[in-house]
Amino acid sequence: MRDAGVVLDYALFGAIAQMRYTEAVVTIDVAVLVSIPPRESLDLLGDIYSFCAARGWQPEGEAIRVGPWPVRFVAASSALTTEAMERADTADFDGVPLRVVRADYLGVIALSVGRAKNFARILALLESGSVTEEAIERLAALHGLTEAWQRFRTRFLDA
Amino acid sequence: MRDARDLLERQARWQKGRKALSWPEKIRLVEGVRESARTWRATAAQPDDHRTSRSRED
Repeated sequence: MRDAGVVLDYALFGAIAQMRYTEAVVTIDVAVLVSIPPRESLDLLGDIYSFCAARGWQPEGEAIRVGPWPVRFVAASSALTTEAMERADTADFDGVPLRVVRADYLGVIALSVGRAKNFARILALLESGSVTEEAIERLAALHGLTEAWQRFRTRFLDA
Repeated sequence: MRDARDLLERQARWQKGRKALSWPEKIRLVEGVRESARTWRATAAQPDDHRTSRSRED
């Protein structure tokens, strides 16, 4: 997809990326951050859907079924998600190199979303030792999430 | 008492083993329970699902 110019860059995030660092967690889909070439249409993901349809990969809810997994493409639309994608690691998946969002960015993206399962992700990442509280605090501050981090810390870490 | 300790030790070994899995192995493990999780979530979301379509950047 990147070679075809449909996306400029990509990185796995969400639960699939989290599992690089923590125990396995249940998830029903694969989430992929993508950056898309500039286009006039408001349908940002249109070219991705066309690319996939041409290969027989059909939409399934908010995702596109690729093999056994529904894949959910999310356009990197904020400074945080864009940076997370740009600074992603390249990880080996059975010999295939895949771009994967780093633990510190996974933590801060989770903080920015702020649902219970996202908070659980931050705690799991901290427990795994893949990221420190200080690293999340620094990155959160850079993206205007200091208050959210303080609320999280008071609620889950200082108790 | 002895049975309980054996059970806890087995549980601890299983948890440590799960943590030691490689990333692809963890994903394959999850793939095996994904359909069940999806069915369960669909059931749990009905009939009074009042969630909004807020950002799913997760």
